[in-house]
Amino acid sequence: MNDPSTRFRWVLLLASLVTIGYLVAAALRENFLAEWYTLQKEYRQLLQSKASDDQGRALARDFRIELKQVSVPQLKAVDRCVSCHNGIDDPRMTGVRQPHAVHPGDILKNHPADRYGCTICHQGQGVATSFRDAKGDDVSWDYPLLTRELTQSSCLACHDVERLPRQQVALVLEGKKLFDEKSCASCHKLGGRGGTLGLALDNEGAKTRHQLIMVNLKPPYTTWRWHQAHFRDPGGVVAGSQMKNPTVTEHEALALTAFMLSLRQRDVPESYLAPDKIEQKARALHPQPLSGERLYRNYCFACHGDGTYGRWDTTFRRFIPAVRGPSLLATADPAYLEAQIALGRPGTQMPAWDARAGGLQPDEVKALVAYLGKSGGILSGKTGIFDRFAQNDNAPVLARGDANRGAALFIQNCAGCHGVAGHGGVAPELANPTFQQAASDAFIVTTIRNGRRGTAMPSFQPRVPGARSLSDAEIADLLAFIRALGPAARKPQTALVPNDLVKSGGSR
Amino acid sequence: MASTATRPDRTTATQEFLHNLRLLPRTLKDAWFRIGHTPESEREVSQATFHNLFLHIHSVRVHVRTLAPAFTLGLGLISAASFVVLCITGVLLMVYYKPSTTLAYDSIKDLHYVVFTGRFMRNIHRWSAHVMVVAVFLHMARVFYTGSYKKPREFNWLVGLALLVLTLALSFTGYLLPYDQLAYWATTIGANIANSPRELTDAIGISTWFDPGGFQKRLLLGANFVGEDSLIRFYVLHVFVLPVLLIMLLGVHFWRIRKDGGLARPEEPMGGPAEWGGSMKRVFEPLATKTYGLMALVKGRRPTVNRGPENTVMSWPHLFWAELAVFMLTVAICLILSFYSDAPLKELANPAVPENPAKAPWYFLGLQELVSYSAFMGGLLIPLIAWVGLALIPFLDRRPGGEGVWFGTPGERRVAWQSLLFGLLTSVGMLAFTVNFGWLRNWFPRIHQLWIIAINPGSILVLLYAGWSLLVLKRKDSVRLAAVALFTCFLIGFTVLTYFATIHRGPNWQFYWWPSQWPVH
Amino acid sequence: MPDLTMPAGSRLDPPRVNRRSFLSLAAIGSFFGAIGVALAGALRLPNPAVLPGPVRRFKIGFPDQFAVGSETRFEQESLFVFRDAEGVYAISAICTHLGCSVARAPNGFACPCHGSKFDLRGDVQAGPAPRPLPWLEVGRAADGQLIVFADNEVPEGTRFRV
Repeated sequence: MNDPSTRFRWVLLLASLVTIGYLVAAALRENFLAEWYTLQKEYRQLLQSKASDDQGRALARDFRIELKQVSVPQLKAVDRCVSCHNGIDDPRMTGVRQPHAVHPGDILKNHPADRYGCTICHQGQGVATSFRDAKGDDVSWDYPLLTRELTQSSCLACHDVERLPRQQVALVLEGKKLFDEKSCASCHKLGGRGGTLGLALDNEGAKTRHQLIMVNLKPPYTTWRWHQAHFRDPGGVVAGSQMKNPTVTEHEALALTAFMLSLRQRDVPESYLAPDKIEQKARALHPQPLSGERLYRNYCFACHGDGTYGRWDTTFRRFIPAVRGPSLLATADPAYLEAQIALGRPGTQMPAWDARAGGLQPDEVKALVAYLGKSGGILSGKTGIFDRFAQNDNAPVLARGDANRGAALFIQNCAGCHGVAGHGGVAPELANPTFQQAASDAFIVTTIRNGRRGTAMPSFQPRVPGARSLSDAEIADLLAFIRALGPAARKPQTALVPNDLVKSGGSR
Repeated sequence: MASTATRPDRTTATQEFLHNLRLLPRTLKDAWFRIGHTPESEREVSQATFHNLFLHIHSVRVHVRTLAPAFTLGLGLISAASFVVLCITGVLLMVYYKPSTTLAYDSIKDLHYVVFTGRFMRNIHRWSAHVMVVAVFLHMARVFYTGSYKKPREFNWLVGLALLVLTLALSFTGYLLPYDQLAYWATTIGANIANSPRELTDAIGISTWFDPGGFQKRLLLGANFVGEDSLIRFYVLHVFVLPVLLIMLLGVHFWRIRKDGGLARPEEPMGGPAEWGGSMKRVFEPLATKTYGLMALVKGRRPTVNRGPENTVMSWPHLFWAELAVFMLTVAICLILSFYSDAPLKELANPAVPENPAKAPWYFLGLQELVSYSAFMGGLLIPLIAWVGLALIPFLDRRPGGEGVWFGTPGERRVAWQSLLFGLLTSVGMLAFTVNFGWLRNWFPRIHQLWIIAINPGSILVLLYAGWSLLVLKRKDSVRLAAVALFTCFLIGFTVLTYFATIHRGPNWQFYWWPSQWPVH
Repeated sequence: MPDLTMPAGSRLDPPRVNRRSFLSLAAIGSFFGAIGVALAGALRLPNPAVLPGPVRRFKIGFPDQFAVGSETRFEQESLFVFRDAEGVYAISAICTHLGCSVARAPNGFACPCHGSKFDLRGDVQAGPAPRPLPWLEVGRAADGQLIVFADNEVPEGTRFRV
């Protein structure tokens, strides 16, 4: 009769043979078929072929085929790139194929791999032992290998980029310049200064792919591809984005991307920081105030353009006033403008810019206002435009009239643009608390009388014979109604006007 | 006796010494193997089994049915073998793994990239863990369907249930150790399932004074969130506490098998017909008129050829061949899987970036689906009901008969098929309904949470299964068949829910037909 | 009473329980083979393929930065580099007693911690130090700089010819 355990012996035999086979196959695959193994063998042959003197021959002889790594505990890096990139510091390794080639440039003279590792500059998964894993552009690693042109964005971890040789950080510098030129800080804070419509960018370079919306991109999903696409078409990358298209070329988008990647708070030990970086950090504690023109370009240009005409913004669905319009500047006093800038217009896209909000110092606000007053254009050549304020035509201060009659007049003449309750939209928001607090009665009266050149606000007392005109009494009624729109009637809970601003004139 | 009596004449002490040195290999072997050679007679075989520390947990003889693969499918052995593989690979991994939130992830990367065989060891560890979990579930099903829990094996069934819980706990604690995104968020989900009593205590407003959910969660995590304390706790549980408990209970489990009389088998006369592994063959047909007959021609001195009493064979070598074969088969399968498929490792755990979808380990995904309807029901009550129900089976179905054979009771196979169909239709139907129409909160946004705890897809499925089982109880007039109905329903329900939550739930726990359709973030 | 002991080789003998067949040998052999291969791999695992921690290997500069007769101290790397007519050599500045950094003394080195004194070759002149200051291996890196392998000791007097 048959032995009940024959089949088990067969199974045992087969299973054991399969086991041995796979164990051996795994050992082979890991050691002799590994990428780094074959590459090191190639490199040894290269060393032998390039050995022209004793030293060269000694190097070829002493070259061991084993896993190599650079361990830099201070930078929390264990970089195994050197298992394949064996020739990075051998000047003879030119004209050979990668990964055997020598490191380009003379970066390694000041940044020896033993002390810095590789990933501090190049990012990527340093612990990996194959190139595909080292690239790290899939879900297994947060910071993939940077492309060649973007590697310079890592320099800012230890250096003040302004003090480096220009050609080595050209892209980052260009990006920084574009950032100011395109007035990105109008909406995005950097270093605590800027608008609030967009996200603060201080640590933008540290973002991983999971913190950016990738749904409108194609793989590979890296942060720099996102930035490049986003700069070219913000609304296409982020649905519903309020960001204006900065209209940049591909190269400019790349430069801006390099700048974005450089914005990264890194925890680098002090012994690794360059002296100029330490100086830069010290300087940042006491920033030099910028000129009015620079301030306007950095923080206002994105929305207000050159400021000489008002416009309807389709994204914000709101009217953007002409802040350098001659009519405004003719009627507004510096205190009014400072208040508007410092406090913003709550409820609209105009943020507050004072030191606690947008980050501008008081003297910077003043400089900005002075710049506005110096606007060229129609009234170029006129200095001291604010002097006109007190001497405006037909500008006796009117006492407030009857708000009920004013309501009817408002509906007829003003509500079409300013909204029934003065909430603006097509025209400025008269019910806005900042406006109400900062604008004086005379300002309102003069504006109604004279209109605003360059905008849709007509003059309601035109000195044209036969044209329709409001009487002084009617304007006084309107004034009363407009005042009733805002919260000026009661003392506000929070002081909207900081002490260091000149208090607005006018009666309440 | 003088020592010279044993020494041949004219040999000196030096010669004796050299002679003994030369014989060293043989004398060592003889000292180890008490009989000095591989056992030959049955008596020697019995002694070999009996006197060996590791082998004597087996009985000296086993019934032939123990060796029949189609009976047990070797599932118990597969579970034990994969556990052995897990222990060995686990210890090897422990040489390099560092249980600290700052070091764990890097140590796993090192294991993968630089440690010799590290990648392979980790893959084997992961795959054999999956194999073990699947095997213990299938083993439980096998034991149930062959009625092998009946007297006197009720206690062993309970030990087996405890082993099931320990296996799942081992798998769950091990899941956190790599401390990557998968691990972190799966543990967060698991801890929140432990927190599920909160749903009930919140709904009745007593959470401030009585919060077993929060207690469980804090006990598990050592904090309110997954962090260093959780990691070290899970590590201690995973490498020491749970394995020790498991090994102790495994010992009890194996010992009980023996004391309960070996694996369950049906009553049989001596010898047995061919379909039970016997070897008797009809040589001729007996005539009806004959009053005597030659019954069979056998070789050997006993009626059962090559069989001992009660149709048994010697453990050595047959059972040990079988065990070795199953062990190596398990090892070979784990190796093949590990060679081709790497254990996953995502980015370092980042509490600021939740995985979407954040999924528990696959064997908890069925639970997670139920938890998505009601945390308390799905996380606590239904698993508890299932587990207690399983434990009660041997005590509610006490009628002997039908054990040791698949579907041994008449009508059992039919009931099983019907229950499979019923369970499949109801669970798939319930899922389809909730996917298309939502549930109470969608239709009545202000409804009190207690209603949802009471009436949700999970509780409805439980009621349906219970109802079906009662129906079978009444109609077929058999406790065993009712048990078969209920067990089958739960098994298929668990499978369907696990499959559904694995494949068809995507980001935000929305329904998708295939993972390829999941939206990119 | 029939003799119940069977003659050897009878047809009616029960077969031996341990049928030694080629299959059994092969099965058991391959089983132990598999265990053996697995064990070999498992035993190799604890042997680190790469040593953790930074390798103590320092590039110290180009040979012409070291004039003949010069001595340079490298604080951070804890070593002295000398060059004489025969070549370049490096002596460790870590006292062999308990690890303090030795200072340069008029005729050699002196350790401020427990008073060990060494001569210019590193031999112990006085104090509790048990053995001389080790001489460290000097080599040349691929880019031409001198490189000190601070983990490798070389016999006293070994110089690297440049």
